[in-house]
Amino acid sequence: MSLYFGIPIMLVAAVLQSVWLGNVHILGGRPDLVLLLTITWSIIRGGHEGALWGFVGGVFCDLLSGSGFGLWTLTLTSVGLFVGQPWVHSLGPTVIRLAVMSAFGTLLGHILLIVIMTLLGYSVNVGRAIQTVAGPAALLNFLLSPFVFTFLVWFHRRSGPRPGGFAA
Amino acid sequence: MRREGGPWLAWVLLILALLLIALSESGALGPLQDVLSYVVAPVERGVSAVVRNLGLLTRSTRDVQALQQRVSELETSLEALVQENFRLREYQAENEELRRQLNYTQQNPTLGFVGADVIQQGCTTFPCGDVVGEDTNPYLRYIVINVGSRSGVAPGMPVVTGGAAMVGRIARTSPNLSYVQLINDPDSRVAAMLQQSRVMGVVDGSEEGQLLMTNILPDETVAEGETVITSSIGGLLPRNLILGQIESVSYGEADLFQQAIVRPAVDFRRLETVLVITDFPQPDLGELDAQ
Repeated sequence: MSLYFGIPIMLVAAVLQSVWLGNVHILGGRPDLVLLLTITWSIIRGGHEGALWGFVGGVFCDLLSGSGFGLWTLTLTSVGLFVGQPWVHSLGPTVIRLAVMSAFGTLLGHILLIVIMTLLGYSVNVGRAIQTVAGPAALLNFLLSPFVFTFLVWFHRRSGPRPGGFAA
Repeated sequence: MRREGGPWLAWVLLILALLLIALSESGALGPLQDVLSYVVAPVERGVSAVVRNLGLLTRSTRDVQALQQRVSELETSLEALVQENFRLREYQAENEELRRQLNYTQQNPTLGFVGADVIQQGCTTFPCGDVVGEDTNPYLRYIVINVGSRSGVAPGMPVVTGGAAMVGRIARTSPNLSYVQLINDPDSRVAAMLQQSRVMGVVDGSEEGQLLMTNILPDETVAEGETVITSSIGGLLPRNLILGQIESVSYGEADLFQQAIVRPAVDFRRLETVLVITDFPQPDLGELDAQ
């Protein structure tokens, strides 16, 4: 059921990433809204739904990118699956998991993206990319995660299966 | 709480994502991307318009708007003057070249001559597009514009501002959107020359977003402030599109070539409207291949 709302949410997030956040420069970087939504949803609902939202968000991001199709799809699906793994629960309460994984998951996503781009022949300076793009993005996603978490928990309570309802 | 799909779903999605990359690299994904872009393009345009209007609303005081308008007017005037200056310099260079050629023909009366440009500039169609966003991939310097293959735009076409300053090249198109690789993208390379001295080179993008003119022969003299324009060598771009101005030149003893930092003619962060050159005369490279 959540995916019926997840698709438009991810579409709007990807468009905002392109239209608005591209011009935002805080602490030398910009937040990754679609990545943050994927990570947060994965923490709330587990790795399989995280992967599903990551896949949807990745397709929209790829549609708004001039690079080869599938880069974002593979990256976000992998991050969504990874962040929602059962072992992440051993990190502690949800707040701690959210804080750690929003930063670590963002870094992981960027590193994965850089690796795939390098394999496909794009010129990316890894050290500089982590220092000027991935690092600031991880910090900003860490700072923004409580807000996104609050929104998605509110959404989760409304979109969860009701008695007699169904899950898509 | 029920999960959406079984545990296998995530692995299927991962395999599907890998498949998408493989299909995209082989070029087989074009039709699917075109269909999906029909969903994304209107949303992108709509949200872009809303964001732009909201941005205007937040500028609360009228003074700011008045000042902005004044700056805009001055920028327009400056751009017009720069263009005029550029044209005059180009006429001067062309005049000197024609004089040299005339002198040569007079000194060699037995030879026959046919005048020709390497590539003429004579664009016939300019789809005009608004910049609606930036690439979602932060490692690419691409912008998204709201004209696509339905307007005749195709990969490789040059994109310019109104003042004939080169912005970049079309990297990918969908029916209603195009993705422009800016000239300061690390993977961008443009055959270039200096307007006054006619020194040839290549303008590369870089990780830092700078423009670097490379492949300048060591015995060439490059002056700071010279205008860098496209040279049309290779036939992929029209001649005389402005790339920028030489900011500084460096040459190490161990280097094969000189290198110069070029100040871009375009402020890539403030692009709003661009033109796509869809057609310009190109040399028939097939004839060369045939020979």
